Amino acid sequence: MDSEKLQEIAIRVGGQVAKFRKSTILTVSPDRAKEACQLILTELPEFHHLSTITGIDDDPSITLYYHFWQGKDFLTVKTGVPKTDPVIPSFVDILPSALLYEAEVKDLLGVLFQGNPLMQRRLLLPDSYPPEAPPPLRKEADPEKIRRMMELE
Amino acid sequence: MQYSPENMVPFGPVHPALKEPEYFKLILEGEKIVEVIPRIGYVHRGIERAAQDRTWIKNVYLFERICGICSFAHSIAYTQAIETLLQFEVPRRARYIRLIISELERIHSHLLWLGLVGYWTGFDTLFMWIWKDREHVLDLEEAITGNRIHKSYSTISGVRKDLPDNIGDALKREMKYIEERSEYYKTLVFSEETLVSRTKGIGRINQDITKKLCPVGPLLRCNGFSRDVRVEDPYAAYDEIIPDVKTSHDGDIASLLLLRIEEVKESCRLVLEAYEKIPSGPVKLTIPRSVPKGEAMFHVEAPRGELFYFIRSPGGTVPDRVKIRTPTMANLLTASEMLKGHTLADVPVVLTGMDPCFGCMDRVSIVELDKSKQWAIRGEELRQYGIDWYKQRRNKN
Repeated sequence: MDSEKLQEIAIRVGGQVAKFRKSTILTVSPDRAKEACQLILTELPEFHHLSTITGIDDDPSITLYYHFWQGKDFLTVKTGVPKTDPVIPSFVDILPSALLYEAEVKDLLGVLFQGNPLMQRRLLLPDSYPPEAPPPLRKEADPEKIRRMMELE
Repeated sequence: MQYSPENMVPFGPVHPALKEPEYFKLILEGEKIVEVIPRIGYVHRGIERAAQDRTWIKNVYLFERICGICSFAHSIAYTQAIETLLQFEVPRRARYIRLIISELERIHSHLLWLGLVGYWTGFDTLFMWIWKDREHVLDLEEAITGNRIHKSYSTISGVRKDLPDNIGDALKREMKYIEERSEYYKTLVFSEETLVSRTKGIGRINQDITKKLCPVGPLLRCNGFSRDVRVEDPYAAYDEIIPDVKTSHDGDIASLLLLRIEEVKESCRLVLEAYEKIPSGPVKLTIPRSVPKGEAMFHVEAPRGELFYFIRSPGGTVPDRVKIRTPTMANLLTASEMLKGHTLADVPVVLTGMDPCFGCMDRVSIVELDKSKQWAIRGEELRQYGIDWYKQRRNKN
């Protein structure tokens, strides 16, 4: 990987680069994340394959990882959105393959990707999943309670 | 073009063995498909959440049960992610054994798919022959690991037990048999008019769209992209036993057929080469119960393409988060794109073309724009519809 170019990108979007074995992580603020991905696609075009988007509930924020893959390297763009207002622009216009991955994160962690056409309906969760229950991968989601709410017991 | 999203008919809730049954809502204009809307998750079991309550080692067996076909790919992706965090050097013999089982699994998965293409196109003899041949591979897997499908064979730091002493002859015999049969199927498939007319030129999309939608595995390789995790980012013993990546450029179902047959033959070669060169030594190490704090990503080339695992350890015996992206999830958008412009009769073949877990095809709903009526159609009816449609067209010609 061209680490100089990556450093340049990091400086332009005000992010930080960290490396662990094969994976390189670029941490940016949520309002600059899209810009960072756009820069990766233009400056490091070999990283055009988006493997997936991972969301993790790190109370009080939700961390999002955009994993790009090329050859022996993973390049991950990491950002975080507050749990109280989990909104981030959708990347579908620059990365069409993000469509389903964003919808998955929205279902499981309740992050709203503004501009993604699938935000109004569910992709993974059953229609019977109670709307008042927290999304299932949030820390406060209690499987027992949700099961009772869904009248499965 | 306007359609109403509430016309969605849910696809039957659970197929006990599979993770990924998709539901496709097809918007038709006459017989032509103009829009495809996928909806997945009907057997979403919350495995990623369940993993957060189990220990690292117990999860190996949980993740293996995600897929009833490529179970070994799941267990090695997960165990290798943990080995990255533990900074373990897996014994060389174990890495070779992992390669052998991975390739056997690829052979049986591809054969299963080839058989299904036969089934969906009404060529039932092909289906039965191929599934019989697949049994030979499953028997081999049983002889080595103790089980046909859920092998519980890979473990953190290696594999659970060594190869049986007398397996060499069986491996050589069966691999030779599968190779010969693959060669035969290659001639058979392309000399059979029904199969050719139902697969040639069907499901073709251009390279730019493919690149944007990021599909994985054979779906990517049949469009001329030579991408394979085994070669680009070698794991197990793929750095020493190097696969020859097969590609084709047509991007239709016929080229997928050819590609997968070629991959079966290549896998036979890899199994034999790995067995010839396998070093002696231990097959696993003693491992600590807890995994150090950190994050790791790992991907392997499952039979259907890149299978991705992300793990985060808080430093302890239980994972904080495990994220799994299965190949069908990545291929879903591409398969939807492949359907556009084709007729309803092509749906079973194109959707099978991406090699989804086949529970997906149980029921799809169809909306006809000009008649604005909607009905649900079962997989079996759709299969018959496809066969009849092509029969009628042949008779007209």
